[in-house]
Amino acid sequence: MAKSLGIFVTNPDNFRHVEGIVKAAKAKGSNVKVFFTWDATHNAKKEAGFEALCNLADDVSICVDSYKNMGYDINDIPAGLDEKKMGTQAQHGIIIEDYDCYLSL
Amino acid sequence: MKILNIYRSEPDATTKKLVEIVTRDRESVEFDLNVDAPDYDKLVDEIFAADKTICWW
Amino acid sequence: MEYNKVCLMYRKKDSTVDGMRSALGLAVENMYAYGAVLDDVEMDKLNELNIESIEMLRDMEGDIFATSKGNQELNDLTPITIEELGEKLRDMTHIIPYGVIG
Repeated sequence: MAKSLGIFVTNPDNFRHVEGIVKAAKAKGSNVKVFFTWDATHNAKKEAGFEALCNLADDVSICVDSYKNMGYDINDIPAGLDEKKMGTQAQHGIIIEDYDCYLSL
Repeated sequence: MKILNIYRSEPDATTKKLVEIVTRDRESVEFDLNVDAPDYDKLVDEIFAADKTICWW
Repeated sequence: MEYNKVCLMYRKKDSTVDGMRSALGLAVENMYAYGAVLDDVEMDKLNELNIESIEMLRDMEGDIFATSKGNQELNDLTPITIEELGEKLRDMTHIIPYGVIG
């Protein structure tokens, strides 16, 4: 059984790496959770592959406070997410506590 | 303890100093993400094999 | 039970305060959480809310360090050298170089 992987994204310029690592991890049967914070929340609106990432990974969420700080309307939920996935920093805590492997990007 | 150091950009003096101290007397491997086409399959294998992964700036 | 020990490091001004919020978020999840502002960042004076956040973090046995004298003095951050930070990182379960270099 593949290990599970949690990814904490803080760098808005790393989306291609997020995509590449999630694809590779899913191909190995891993359970993958991704959480985007601060200006990396731009990825949810500006990256064409974001919705596909949400479909591929087991759990994708973003920090709603960061999203608001980046100038977005919190009711404008990015494609691929729902209201429950507009999360808090507790999502980062879950990645650290509950996943076998941790990666920040 | 096996540490995987991933680099998103060319490590500068600060990063090098921190890596040197963190990995002292420990097994460590490096992976350069700062290339055109990283081998993500290999990277995921290395993440799974490491006790700790640090993805530097 | 072994508690997680997490250190986030900041090298860009406009993500430093958010990175501190991330540290506080982990502290309330029962982790030892630390932040370190490195030399690259020249901080503004923190507002009352952010100062309170640091006080809360310290109450939960976390801390915010700074390597530059300017940031230490302006915002009452705990002094640390890069060598001391490196030694502290050896004891962390999770090391997070946050965001980008400014």
